[in-house]
Amino acid sequence: MGSVARYRILIAIAAAVPLMLSGAACSSGNPASPVAVPSSAGSGGGVPLTPAPAPQTLYEAGSTLLQQAMGHWAAGYHDQYPNVVVKPGGGGSTKGISEASAGTINIGGSDAYLSSGDLVKNPTLLNVPLAISAQQVNYNVPGLRPGTNLHLDGLVLAKMYDGTIKTWSNPAISQLNPHVSLPSTPVVPLHRSDGSGDTFLFTSYLSTHDSNWNRNFGYGTKVAWPKVAGAKGETGNQGMVKGCHDTVGCVAYIGISFQNAANQAQLGEAALLNTANQPELPNKTSIDAAVAAFVSSTPPNETISMIDGPASTGYPIVNYEYAIVSTQQRSATAARDLKAFLHWIITTGNSLPYLGSSQFQPLPGPVVSLSDAQIAKIR
Amino acid sequence: MALRTPSPTSPAASGPPGHRAAAPRGRMARHLSVSTTPTRLRLLLTGLLLACLAWGAVGAWTVLQHASAAQDVVSTSEPLSLNAQQMYRSLSDADVTATTAFLAGPNESLGDRQRYTADINQAATDLSNLNGAATSGSNRQLLASLAAISTALPVYTSYVSQAQSEYHLGYLLTGGSFMQVASEVMHLQLLPAAKTIYAQENAGLTAASARATGLPWIAVVVVLAIGIGFVLFRAQRWLWRSTHRRINYGLAVATAVLAACVLWLIVAFTVARADLQQGVGHGSGPAETLAQADIDAQLIRGDEILNLISRSGNASFLQDYHSVRGQLGPGPGTLLTEAAGSSPGGAGAQWASAAAHDVQAWYAVNDQVYRLDSESRYPTETQLVIGTGPTSSAAGFGRVETDLSHAIAADQVVFHSNATAGGNAFTGLEAGVIVAALLMALGCAWGLSVRLAEYR
Repeated sequence: MGSVARYRILIAIAAAVPLMLSGAACSSGNPASPVAVPSSAGSGGGVPLTPAPAPQTLYEAGSTLLQQAMGHWAAGYHDQYPNVVVKPGGGGSTKGISEASAGTINIGGSDAYLSSGDLVKNPTLLNVPLAISAQQVNYNVPGLRPGTNLHLDGLVLAKMYDGTIKTWSNPAISQLNPHVSLPSTPVVPLHRSDGSGDTFLFTSYLSTHDSNWNRNFGYGTKVAWPKVAGAKGETGNQGMVKGCHDTVGCVAYIGISFQNAANQAQLGEAALLNTANQPELPNKTSIDAAVAAFVSSTPPNETISMIDGPASTGYPIVNYEYAIVSTQQRSATAARDLKAFLHWIITTGNSLPYLGSSQFQPLPGPVVSLSDAQIAKIR
Repeated sequence: MALRTPSPTSPAASGPPGHRAAAPRGRMARHLSVSTTPTRLRLLLTGLLLACLAWGAVGAWTVLQHASAAQDVVSTSEPLSLNAQQMYRSLSDADVTATTAFLAGPNESLGDRQRYTADINQAATDLSNLNGAATSGSNRQLLASLAAISTALPVYTSYVSQAQSEYHLGYLLTGGSFMQVASEVMHLQLLPAAKTIYAQENAGLTAASARATGLPWIAVVVVLAIGIGFVLFRAQRWLWRSTHRRINYGLAVATAVLAACVLWLIVAFTVARADLQQGVGHGSGPAETLAQADIDAQLIRGDEILNLISRSGNASFLQDYHSVRGQLGPGPGTLLTEAAGSSPGGAGAQWASAAAHDVQAWYAVNDQVYRLDSESRYPTETQLVIGTGPTSSAAGFGRVETDLSHAIAADQVVFHSNATAGGNAFTGLEAGVIVAALLMALGCAWGLSVRLAEYR
């Protein structure tokens, strides 16, 4: 009896794996669907398409990268539903996660998915992708021809950030840019001093390319940065843009929604080498290509790292921009209004008028379905 | 031989046993009829037969209840409690092993792979045993928790497989995020359900022990025996006086058998109860305390791993670590100190003392781990958590685990031997009570029918 039953369990486990995988692969959906009632929404039905008629204020804080888009979404939603006011706050991903955990805000914006620790300590939290983002690497190197996009890869960037590469004319950089005349300007690495999803994404990229970086510094929303002469810590993406503008020789990682700000600050933008060693700039084509490789494997809770994916034409630092929300809202009305707003973001709000200025890309259909299924859990 | 008229104080004082009464009429006639000696003898015979057989039935049922409860403790409740504890340990260890192997690099060692596979197989076996023992009448919380593990275990293993596949394909971070999702399934679904199952099965063990050592029904049997003994005594005294001091051998045999059986019953029950209480006090009780200590140690280790892989948020398990450490001990009122003092001189207590000593060194490593984490020094933290050197957390945890495993095994041996001895004390008693009841009934029938025959 014992051994028979044991093998039954083992067979069940073995059988469940392909079933699960096929289930994940089949969970596609249509982002433009007028009725959002996902089949996997769990008990209690789907997502309301409109807010309740009563006045409502929803509070958001967190990712500075998401802040701009959230501002557009808040304004657009208020135009459509004047009784709902959404107040974006910014402050960094770490703040977004902690305040959503504490229940002081309705939506925590984060460039990084929730950690296991956050989820285990607060199982009511969800991370719901709202759009696709990317991270650019900017620099302030004098003497380059306008329109030059230096080629950089994770290994070289890691060496710049750990102080091994001290000047822009270093052979490692020259080797990646054989047709560019590089000055001997000292490299000044800028990093975020606040807890940041951008830091998590950037150091993840460095860790995948440089085992020394992974071994010595690792990745996270906060990192014990190497002691490099002249290195600077900045607060928020705006601080990174300004800091880089003010510092000749800087290299900085900046969220893509600050691309226009970086351009206005006349910062150079690097083309990063992907896993196929192809230099790619962050644009719609390269970002969509990178994400497409991960759509079918995104799990139901949508926690997935898409750094350095397999797409040969993909940009290597892409991510979902997450709304960190609690399934337990203060009232049924707040829950309904939050669900309706989040659903609106991943459908109507995922169109060019709302995403254009932040350079975000819309979620693929299957990911919209997964997000809707998560949104439906809010009570 | 003629019967002597009983004294006025005898049970038959109202009638002349030496004479057959004339047939009376009406109420008085009925009264006189009941009062006649043959009628009294018949009533006495019927009453004693019924009482003996009823006592035999109640006595045998009581012995059966206690014996089966003792057997249940040894053969069902204790193994199920062990299965549940083992399942928790296997699940927790599987997650720790899978995560540390993943963090160590893409080339998972054979030892890690085998350990993970063995853990999952052991958990599946324990789950199967627990499912097999559960019935539709089982506690709903237990059934729900078993169902939760049956559902979540394949989900967990599939995420681990996917994490390993991604890693082997060169996508460290994607693999890492799948490993993270797997850990979430483990910590949010599997381990809480396993803990609930352990609590339920442990409560089942406690209840079975209480049934095996409980007093009410055995007291009822003894009180009934005293009642029957009193009736037999009065009947024999009546017959002794009314038959010129002749011994009624049938009733005497019934009385002797009753006394012997009650003595057997009391001795068996006293021995069984003492053995079982000894087994609980020095075996399953400390083992339960140690099992809880083991769960706490697993929790500290699991949280340490979670803390290590949680790079994208704010969560820190430092407070949880201090809280669980305060519960685990050593120190007054803590689990390890309680286990070490439960049976002084016993092997289990000695191993518990060893665990209380070894855990201090492990705590020192943990303190260092959390300090490094607060400074975001992940690589050093990682090496300290997953490294294999003698000063690593893995090594410290391993020593504490070994101590606790030995302690639990030693206490289980104590429990098992005592509980088995306790259960054996009931051997043959159920049949003995039935035979005794039949002998008592036969003795009464024989002894009283001889007297009745004198009236024909």
